[in-house]
Amino acid sequence: MILAAAMNPEAFSGAQDAIARMRRGDPDALTAVISRYQHRLYRYLLRLVREPASADDLFQQTWLRVMEKIGRYDARRNFESWLFSVAHNLAIDSWRGKRGESLHHAGDAGDAGDAGDSREAPIERLSTGEPDALERLLDFERGAMLAACMHELPAIHREVLTLRFEEDMKLEESAGVAGVPLSTVKSRLRRALEGLRAAMEARLPGGRRA
Amino acid sequence: MSERESHHDIAGMLALAAAGALDAQEQRRLQEHARECAACRRELEIWSGYSQGLRQLPQPPIPAQLMERTRTRLVQEHAAAADRRWDELMLGALALFAWTVGLTFWFVARIVTGGELVVMGANLVRFGTWSAGSTVLVWLTAAVAAIALGRRRRELRRAL
Repeated sequence: MILAAAMNPEAFSGAQDAIARMRRGDPDALTAVISRYQHRLYRYLLRLVREPASADDLFQQTWLRVMEKIGRYDARRNFESWLFSVAHNLAIDSWRGKRGESLHHAGDAGDAGDAGDSREAPIERLSTGEPDALERLLDFERGAMLAACMHELPAIHREVLTLRFEEDMKLEESAGVAGVPLSTVKSRLRRALEGLRAAMEARLPGGRRA
Repeated sequence: MSERESHHDIAGMLALAAAGALDAQEQRRLQEHARECAACRRELEIWSGYSQGLRQLPQPPIPAQLMERTRTRLVQEHAAAADRRWDELMLGALALFAWTVGLTFWFVARIVTGGELVVMGANLVRFGTWSAGSTVLVWLTAAVAAIALGRRRRELRRAL
């Protein structure tokens, strides 16, 4: 749904207009841009840092940095990639500052007990009487398990997965966000998928499908 | 390349294929191989299931008031930045004013003393001596003011 809104040509031109107005210092435009990207940015940060409080703080810091640096933003560049790269750099700074860690080491050991990020219970997502209710419940449970397995992966792998599959970014854009070569993104993506599958198969003895 | 090597090679590309991360040539090679290889077709189907699942992960709820809190923080930061700019402008204006006052006093001192006011062997109303002394005084005052403003900024930042 978020992606569909992002792909809508009218919404896209509205976003470009808001970004252009934001560059001219229009405070209303800034609100419009934050409102447009809030879900995606927060989701990206939460996948990256895993802790809601840190994601919340980084979300705010990202917009402060955007406001500070918007004059230097090259309008020919994709705004989303730029926004996510700002968030990525702040997350790295935050890790360095807090624990002397880097993105490459952060989160190697995860909290296996957390079944995904959604706080909504499966049953709440079902509307009674629909013929595909059971199928939706199974889909939701599969999704929750997949999210939990992703949660256990190292941060660089969680990042590449969320950029590729949730943000639907091209590999070149993901490379721009993470500040690494394209070949590194490809190898991270492959390792992330393999790690995810191994984690899923460990949870589902005998089951091989996501 | 032998058929076995090709199969091994292709098998390593299946996860990326399902992620849409292969280039056109790799994709063509994989499709040609998968037409003949049931094991790779099955694997590709499994990886496609993962890709599809990752596109439909449960979405995290955004914290309540996050947008409002962010806007408030931005407004505060904007106000703090405006204060900083004002402080810097004032600092510059005061330095200019002090230098102008110093120059005016030099003219007055020259008139009153007839162009000579010797203290410890130095003529204080000589332009070079006077301007060096007043410049040092102005910059010392500006440095003290800048330190005081910097402290205030840090306190404000901590309060934000």
